[in-house]
Amino acid sequence: MDQSEIDALLAGGGKSPKKPKAATKAPVAEPVPAPSAPAPAAEPHKDGSGHVISELDTVTAVTERESNKVMDQLDQIGRLVARQQQLVTDMMSHEGAQTSGTQKAIYEIMSASKEIQDKVFEAMDLMQFQDITRQKLERIVYHLRQIHDYIVDLLGTGLKSDTERPSISHTIAQTGTTPDENKAHADSVIEAFKSQKKG
Amino acid sequence: MKILIVDDSSTMRRIIINTLSRIGYTDVVEGENGKSGLEKLGQGGVEMIITDWNMPEMDGLEFVKTVRGQNPVIPILMVTTNAAKEDIVEALQAGVNNYVVKPFTPETLKEKIESLLG
Repeated sequence: MDQSEIDALLAGGGKSPKKPKAATKAPVAEPVPAPSAPAPAAEPHKDGSGHVISELDTVTAVTERESNKVMDQLDQIGRLVARQQQLVTDMMSHEGAQTSGTQKAIYEIMSASKEIQDKVFEAMDLMQFQDITRQKLERIVYHLRQIHDYIVDLLGTGLKSDTERPSISHTIAQTGTTPDENKAHADSVIEAFKSQKKG
Repeated sequence: MKILIVDDSSTMRRIIINTLSRIGYTDVVEGENGKSGLEKLGQGGVEMIITDWNMPEMDGLEFVKTVRGQNPVIPILMVTTNAAKEDIVEALQAGVNNYVVKPFTPETLKEKIESLLG
């Protein structure tokens, strides 16, 4: 497999119909004959082998940017609700606001506001999915780079490792694991660690 | 109480800041990796650190080790996706005081912060 095939494989565009499983098999110890001559170093990854990686980087950047927009909107809703609550509080001091009917209406408005605020906070907390998804993508990128570097080592050309990339999580909590389960798990390890230290 | 939040995800920093503000902590400084976290810490006044693990340039583990070399007492809470037992133990050995796995609930974060400050 030459560099252009590697590039095509990593780019996803070149499905490499003759050897479709080459990428997944790359790290396996299957003897690969050394190339008779060094593969041409031209066009290493400007828009080729790094394509998938840069695509995924773009995806993570875009999701981060868009998540921040969602957070901005949620912040704005939170501020509007707080203002609404302030207006209602001010209204309570007005003459006539003490009638039972008005008091009941005010109480209901304030309860609804509180509920909206709680929902806004819940939505903000749920935005954690963005960071978790980003880290999952980083794991994929990491493994793609490993495969790429392995192949490049064999062929002596291609994309170099980027030291600026974040370290990756080896064990992201499984999808569907609840925060409570995460907490219980972490707590139990911490407790075990502490008792081990004491002992 | 000034709290330093170190995480390369701006979304996650905002989530943590929101949670902190709900429990009464509004004095916050932010770093986007261990390196900038150290810079912020160097500016003084920080009384607690909340840090992620996986970050570019300097990851959370290296950051914690560096901080512990300078300050053995400041409370450090690690908030990360790394959920394996070995990871948690490694972080504790590096000097983390407590550990939260993402995704977390605001109650969990609150409980951990209060246990560190209590």
